[in-house]
Amino acid sequence: MRNWPLALSLAGLLPALVPWGGASASPAEKSTFAAHVAPLVQKYCVRCHGPKKAKAGVRLDRDRDEASALKDRALWEKVADIVRSGDMPPAGAKRPSPAELDSLNAWLDRVVLKVDCSGPRDPGRVTIRRLNRAEYNNTIRDLVGVDFRPAKDFPADDVGYGFDNIGDVLSLPPLLMEKYLDAAEQVVEKAWADPKARARLFPRPRKKPGDRRFVLDNLRTFATRAYRRPATDEEVKRLARLVRQAAENGDGFETGVKNALTAVLVSPHFLFRIEVDREPGNPRAVHPITDWELASRLSYFLWSSMPDEELFSLAREKKLRQPGVLEGQVRRMIKDPKAKALADNFAGQWLQTRGLAEFKPDPRQFPAFNDELRRDMQKETELFFLNVVREDRSILDFIDSDYTFVNERLARHYGLRGVKGNEFRKVSLAGTPRGGVLTQASVLAVTSNPTRTSPVKRGKFILDNILGTPPPPPPPDAGELKEGPELTGTLRQRMEQHRANPSCATCHARMDPLGFGFENFDAVGAWRTHEGKLPIDPSGVLPGGQSFKGPAGLRAILKKKQGQFAKCLTEKLLTYALGRGMERSDRCFIEEIARKAAKSDYRFSGLVIETVKSDPFQKRRGKGGKK
Amino acid sequence: MRNHLIIDRRTVLKGIGATVALPWLEAMVPGSVLGAEPKGKPPLRMAFLYVPNGKNMRHWTPKEEGKDFTFPKTLLPLKPYKDDLLVLTGLTCDKARPHGDGPGDHARAMSAFLTGCQAKKTHGADIRVGVSVDQFAAQKVGKSTRFPTLEVGCEGGRQAGNCDSGYSCAYSSSVSWRTPTTPVAKEVHPRLVFERLFGIKGKAGDVRKAKRDYYRHSILDHVLDDAKGLKAKLGAPDRRKLEEYLSGVREIEGRLARAEKADRVEVKEIGTTCPRPPGMPRNYEQHLRLMADMLVLAFQADLTRIATFVFANEGSNRSYRDVGVPEGHHDLSHHGGKNEKLAKIQQINEFHVKQLAYLLGRLRSVKEGAGTLLDSCMLVYGSGNSDGNRHNHDDLPVLLCGKAGGAFKAGWHVRYPKETPLTNLFVTMLDRFGVRVDKFGDSTGRLAGLEA
Repeated sequence: MRNWPLALSLAGLLPALVPWGGASASPAEKSTFAAHVAPLVQKYCVRCHGPKKAKAGVRLDRDRDEASALKDRALWEKVADIVRSGDMPPAGAKRPSPAELDSLNAWLDRVVLKVDCSGPRDPGRVTIRRLNRAEYNNTIRDLVGVDFRPAKDFPADDVGYGFDNIGDVLSLPPLLMEKYLDAAEQVVEKAWADPKARARLFPRPRKKPGDRRFVLDNLRTFATRAYRRPATDEEVKRLARLVRQAAENGDGFETGVKNALTAVLVSPHFLFRIEVDREPGNPRAVHPITDWELASRLSYFLWSSMPDEELFSLAREKKLRQPGVLEGQVRRMIKDPKAKALADNFAGQWLQTRGLAEFKPDPRQFPAFNDELRRDMQKETELFFLNVVREDRSILDFIDSDYTFVNERLARHYGLRGVKGNEFRKVSLAGTPRGGVLTQASVLAVTSNPTRTSPVKRGKFILDNILGTPPPPPPPDAGELKEGPELTGTLRQRMEQHRANPSCATCHARMDPLGFGFENFDAVGAWRTHEGKLPIDPSGVLPGGQSFKGPAGLRAILKKKQGQFAKCLTEKLLTYALGRGMERSDRCFIEEIARKAAKSDYRFSGLVIETVKSDPFQKRRGKGGKK
Repeated sequence: MRNHLIIDRRTVLKGIGATVALPWLEAMVPGSVLGAEPKGKPPLRMAFLYVPNGKNMRHWTPKEEGKDFTFPKTLLPLKPYKDDLLVLTGLTCDKARPHGDGPGDHARAMSAFLTGCQAKKTHGADIRVGVSVDQFAAQKVGKSTRFPTLEVGCEGGRQAGNCDSGYSCAYSSSVSWRTPTTPVAKEVHPRLVFERLFGIKGKAGDVRKAKRDYYRHSILDHVLDDAKGLKAKLGAPDRRKLEEYLSGVREIEGRLARAEKADRVEVKEIGTTCPRPPGMPRNYEQHLRLMADMLVLAFQADLTRIATFVFANEGSNRSYRDVGVPEGHHDLSHHGGKNEKLAKIQQINEFHVKQLAYLLGRLRSVKEGAGTLLDSCMLVYGSGNSDGNRHNHDDLPVLLCGKAGGAFKAGWHVRYPKETPLTNLFVTMLDRFGVRVDKFGDSTGRLAGLEA
């Protein structure tokens, strides 16, 4: 039973969300089960999944027509996943031709994977999320009022679905628990020594000697903010016990209070973002999350931190869902300086510019690259992203724009004149080959190898992060290149010779031309016209037949695919906002959010507002079925 | 209340240097709570050192079998240690193979290396592989030292993106697995390893530390109650996450309890000093060597007897320009049979082996009982990939260093029949370690030909 658990785990992964290979209309789209699919199954699958052998307990020979296949829909969904991930047919077995694959995929899309958006909708379920490093730092900052950044020594957070804030994926190894305890003690110790911070930890003074009430009041206030919902009487009472214990041991009142505050910061109520289901075991029990939970979802989405007083009081008064309130809050929040977190944590992972820290190009080939330039590259993308957010620009600016942000060093790197000094400023890109994020040095570098560009990585980057049509992983025997005559010429020419290998050709025909369009930018994002002595050819032809002559032409093509890009960005944003991977059932929501965002000219705020108003953001349900 | 202090407090407080104690020494007072070893016989230690992306096997495997083998180019730096090591050829990590799961050999290789189990192919949710041999040993016998295990490495987890063809990044950055679903994060900062081993600051002295530990207990009890109350209200996936929290809290409580006991043991000090490591080294070789130093210290002071050390994550694309290889390692490993690339891979392999030689040298420089620290070690050095181009997982590059207290012979090149599971080696090592099992992961028996 090896294959099917795998397929199950792949079910709901994103490749299924988009039509295979883009939206080109072809005769394959009219393929039917009886005429097209059944013969392919007979030819490629039945030897192992048929009457003689039913590997992994799977037989694919039983369905005769579409109606019977639809009764087996779960089975065919698995087939779709496993074929598209490139895992079946297995290495060494006969593989379908590209045309055969097209017709199979068209049928799968049209019949099996079609999601009915008209019935009751599943908002999905988010697993409790522990604060990741960025969230921990920011939450401590906003809770205590001092930016200690205690999480800088925490182990790296686990990444899943492209982001490091996914509840299911974030683990809590014992080493981290130890660090939480150390950090909590140090935060309390340091904050206690700082009058301003101390007032936040323990705001109310003792009114008169023997006043015990004020301890309880202070603990309640702190725990309520730290837990991001009202602390219960029982919780407050138990915390007070820690205060009493120290006093009884003769260690003083302060020690006791510090112990209680430390306990709050190590409590699962603080370290995890918890949302409670009334019926945790019932997947049909769909319900809106509480206003407190909604306030936290908003603040961690847009600020990577806890809610501020305004959000807390709206939650307390249950006003968050009143007409216009959410919209107003989103607009307020994205203008707040704390929205920089969205650039650091969302854009840094969506555009993978966090990877710049690990990028080490060969200094002999790229002597101009140093840590300052590395920081500048990162800064450009951050400022560019934040400009779209704060100026509420169209998300299409990410694909193409006539401006960017540079300082003197980066301007020189780009060959732009007239920029002096270390300060970044907005500059026009009119008349230059650059525009949008794809020609920013940060993105060009993280999609390169240390010694050369990688058109494959750049092409894959666009498929993954702009078009939302990730290619399947390479077949198991990729890399085992047949020995043959030495390949010569530019990198592009050598790659094209490679692609003569038919088992690689289908996917590389999708990836490589996109990457070739950016070959005029070297591995650190500088402009070049030659590779060694040979001229660069930045033209290309996409699988659908569209051709382009260079980066500007390619951007124009991408810009026309705005609906596809909007869906891709929505899917990334929703993944990040919810902290969970997308399921097939989320497809309806993604399409709806993107469609509505189009009506506000794809303004960034419009996309965010539609995201936070969507069911997956507003609601949740219990978990049923398997444990 | 506690006047007998163990070394970590007394020393690190000095700020610059640590004096390292050897708590197992014969000087240990009778009735010691640490270690059940016979008096005067040093305890065994085991460590697993992982290097990614396979090897250039042409320059790895000695031509001759048996005692009189010539060192191939890559292994030459180990020549001075010939009498402290075995070259084991022909071992297989079958669970790193696809078995129908398609691409992802890097993720599978690393996660199967010490577990002998096949990683479940998933991007994130429901990761699962198996318990690794180091953690397994620790769960059986790890209680005798302050730290059941130590996990270090020179490359942290990936920060963004996916790692290997549909596998969670956890698989290709974790060699240690506490449970089948919980990878153990490795510490990559040498200074933090040092502070974890020997404590931090605490200038006000030990009474205060004892008091802190006392209240830590109360705080942890408090949050355990929080977690238990919460658990009842949550769904199954949430409860699993909370379970990780609970086991983290319990582990700290256990350590506090062990530390209390250890405080009652008076130990003899020796004058070894080790400077407190500065910030994160920028140079990879320094980084590896500092980590090796930390490992030696931890073994020497008997703070732990089990460790893993990840030189770099599986599939790592680090460039090795200090040894004249500016290309990315993973990129190069897909060498396509090109001699130029193979030569560079060999350079990287040799660089790593030099660092192993450094570690062996450090271990051998520490006198312990009648011999050296290296004599009581069993160190496995290897990769879950053989040839990075083919991604094959048989004929793995594996070395076994140290004499395991005299139990293992040394200075041999042993060739095993094809498909001999790597886990057979682990079963044999577990025997030596006092953990009797008949099966571990995909093992089929014990590994012959190791006994002295």
